[in-house]
Amino acid sequence: MHSLRFNVQPPLSSFSPRLGSLSVHRASENTTISVSTPGLITSTSRGVVPHLSSDHTRVSDAIRWVHVPFESFLELSPPVPTLHPGPYPLHACLGFRPNRHVLTLLLRDPADDRDMPPNGNSFVSALCLRGVRKATPDEWREHVLSVQPDLVVALSDIPYTPGSHSQRRITKSLERSASWLANILRPLPGQHVSAGAGAHPLNVLVHMAGGTSPAARQAFSQSLLEPLFDKEAEAIKPLNSLDEGVVGYTFDLAPLHKSFSSSDPPPRGTTTKNPFMEAADLFSTRPTPFATAQIISLIRTSLGPLPAIKPRIVHSAGSPHEILALIRDVGVDLFDAHWAQRAADVGVALDFVFPVPPVTEPSDAVPPPPREIGHNLYDKRYSHDFSPFADALRSCAAAKRGDTRPSCPCMACSPLRPSEPLKHSSVDEALPVHTPMPYTRAYVHHLLHTHEMSAHTLLVLHNLAVLDTFFAGVRRVLSERPEQFSEEITRFEQTYDEKLGVLAESRKDWNEVTLARGRGRLVREREKQKQDALETAVELE
Amino acid sequence: MQFEVLATCNTTRARVSRMKLPHGVTLLPTFMPVATQAAIKGLTPQQMEGLGVTLILNNTYHLNLRPGIEVLREAGGAHRLQGWNHNLLTDSGGFQLVSLNKFTKITEEGALFASPFTGEPTMLTPEESISIQHAIGADIIMQLDDVVSSLTVGPRVGEAMKRSVRWLDRCIEFHEKSGRNTVQNLFAIVQGGLDPVLRDECLDEMVRRRESVAGYAIGGLSGGEEKDIFWRIIRQCAEKLPADKPRYSMGIGFAEDLLVCVALGVDMADCVFPTRTARFGVALTFNGPLNLKLGKHAKDFNPIDSTCPCPTCSDRISRAMLHHTVTHETAAAHAVTLHNLAFQARVLGQARDAIMNGTFPTYLRRFFAGYFGDVGYPEWCVNALRSVGVDLLEGNPNAKVVKGDGAKWEYSDAM
Ligand SMILES: [Zn+2]
Ligand SMILES: [Zn+2]
Repeated sequence: MHSLRFNVQPPLSSFSPRLGSLSVHRASENTTISVSTPGLITSTSRGVVPHLSSDHTRVSDAIRWVHVPFESFLELSPPVPTLHPGPYPLHACLGFRPNRHVLTLLLRDPADDRDMPPNGNSFVSALCLRGVRKATPDEWREHVLSVQPDLVVALSDIPYTPGSHSQRRITKSLERSASWLANILRPLPGQHVSAGAGAHPLNVLVHMAGGTSPAARQAFSQSLLEPLFDKEAEAIKPLNSLDEGVVGYTFDLAPLHKSFSSSDPPPRGTTTKNPFMEAADLFSTRPTPFATAQIISLIRTSLGPLPAIKPRIVHSAGSPHEILALIRDVGVDLFDAHWAQRAADVGVALDFVFPVPPVTEPSDAVPPPPREIGHNLYDKRYSHDFSPFADALRSCAAAKRGDTRPSCPCMACSPLRPSEPLKHSSVDEALPVHTPMPYTRAYVHHLLHTHEMSAHTLLVLHNLAVLDTFFAGVRRVLSERPEQFSEEITRFEQTYDEKLGVLAESRKDWNEVTLARGRGRLVREREKQKQDALETAVELE
Repeated sequence: MQFEVLATCNTTRARVSRMKLPHGVTLLPTFMPVATQAAIKGLTPQQMEGLGVTLILNNTYHLNLRPGIEVLREAGGAHRLQGWNHNLLTDSGGFQLVSLNKFTKITEEGALFASPFTGEPTMLTPEESISIQHAIGADIIMQLDDVVSSLTVGPRVGEAMKRSVRWLDRCIEFHEKSGRNTVQNLFAIVQGGLDPVLRDECLDEMVRRRESVAGYAIGGLSGGEEKDIFWRIIRQCAEKLPADKPRYSMGIGFAEDLLVCVALGVDMADCVFPTRTARFGVALTFNGPLNLKLGKHAKDFNPIDSTCPCPTCSDRISRAMLHHTVTHETAAAHAVTLHNLAFQARVLGQARDAIMNGTFPTYLRRFFAGYFGDVGYPEWCVNALRSVGVDLLEGNPNAKVVKGDGAKWEYSDAM
């Protein structure tokens, strides 16, 4: 078994930004994997990090903590990972390493906000290639017990049906979520129920229910804290309340972004169909300052009564701006990298750092217009651009003196020679030594326009590294000069355009280049994209 | 180029040679993975290097369209553009011009075609092809040849062969005048269709130009001709080509084809098959190809091949997990591509060792028994190898032999 520990620096208040580390200790392996917070979580699709073969996943330092939606495995019964023999079945089945990777199991992909058939009192509707599958809390617990993830998110009733939801529907969603949580918090077979208080050995995370209703969020948090009685108390013994059993809290922003997808506050009392829906769909998690402000207030409402020492995990934050706001105003500890991985899918190389380096121009100079947070490498302007992906970060090739930029450790900017190339015969000779050069924008521009999948491999490795470096910068400011954190965020917001125009633009180009490949192919592609939320379908030709 | 034959098989015409090019040494026989657009689909050059691959192929026709010569020149050539520091070969662009453009017209001057971008009539001359290949900068470049399908019959075949000889002279002259012949090595392409007389004539003409070319390719095959004719042409060409130059068989990638060609004296081959079939979910193994899409692999937690040193197998990525992801996740295509390229390299690496050790006939028998044991040996392989002194059925007289072009594999349905 493994144990989970979250050390967080005592925060000034419940919602101030905080530094911490989350570690998983594996007694049997005598190893501890630590993830510093604030930090990132890598998203997976069908159990793999999109575009990366296992050797790339293994060498990417940014990939430590990985979220695994289980729903694609419901295609077969019993689900294939539950059959995997040996220790760490989930790690072994998916090709992750127990001494390197922390795996969280979720039923659904938290970024998938498409309309779904309603959940029932005793099941969640999940999506796999063969259609919708009903997953019951009992089955979920069985799967978790067999595949042994490091953490698990309890089933939660998040309505993904069209339209706004009635008070009754919201109440029902809270009751279901609480009862499904209680189900997974039952003692394990053979567990000493006299062991006293302490989190449940499955390391259960709970999604904070309540949607956009502050009252519902408050009610759900209260229901976690209330001592349980009678049969309910008996079921989760030795726990006195649900909250005692959970190790942390998760917040899915995808449904909230969907609700707030208008760029302006909706006029009071109107429930007309959102005219921005089409545009918002181009990059469905693109947050607006309005949405982020609402989300901050909702998360605070949820966390208000709960203990501050447990980790807070946000799924589907949409931009570095939103991430910074959530760290500053709520004290969120971990974010999935879904948006940065999606950016790689559509040809964007991220290019931003935190804190923004000091400006050297005289202070009375007109400040430059805000920069984009990355490069749409589909754009013609990159066809002759032989520089590395990022300006804000240094590649292995540019180690000039006085260059204080952080370096990008990704395999695209700082490629490493393979340590031991394979030899296939006794006469094979050692390869000549050379220093690999960083990959260039012009090369990836070429790969994107010729539909070469390597483009996305390089971009996803890079984008994860940029985001990881960003979080390292956040932690450095929080540890060295916390009093300037807000100021640094303001400088970041002034430097980088929060509208993320580059993502919408590249999404458009991605569409056009795909379209140019011919109709038949596009239809096939679309079909696949509909099925695979991360848009990582293989192009067959 | 430095070319040295290290060992020859006592039975067959197979040999091991060391080919030193400007970007390092490649041991032959070898298989060259195809990076059509300056990328092995889904993989990075570092991954290719890790697989022990030292020579890959780029397609001139494609690179000339995208990114274009201007970008290639600015980048400092295709090696720099794609970050590949080992050996590189480019074709002449002629084959793609004919196979991808319906309206290409061949004249004595060159190949006239409509530009895919502007529709303008554009001429690819032998000189232009070499000039483009100079900008790409590959270690080995190919002459522009007059390509006809291997199924073509009649006077066109002879005309194309003769023109290919004349175009070779123009390529040689242009290449020598450019001064690039010290860093780039020009190969001639033997044509002549399926007609042994025309092949002989072409061989005589081209071998006469041996001082001006670094190696020879055998072209005009792998176009759907009968395998029994295919191997006879290969044998004829390999026999007649000079022993002190590498011999390259174009468009060959099935393991059985590779080993037969090696036994007949071929040193190099290329094909998109192993990488393309990987994207469809077919993994190559010494026991025959596996179609990972088939349901029988869904719960199989073994790797594709537990003895394979590729990253996918050594990380123990299971057939079950690949079954779950192939054709849905690019990551699965990459995983199987890594494996298939390692497989090709192992088949030929083990051939090199066997030739060095004087055990190549045994290796051939063992390989064919493992690969075709259940489904039966293709008759043409048995015939071809018998012609160079290896009896695949030796010690195994009851082995199944299949007529026609070969076995029906699991991948037949998946293609
Ligand atoms: Zn990078
Ligand atoms: Zn392998």
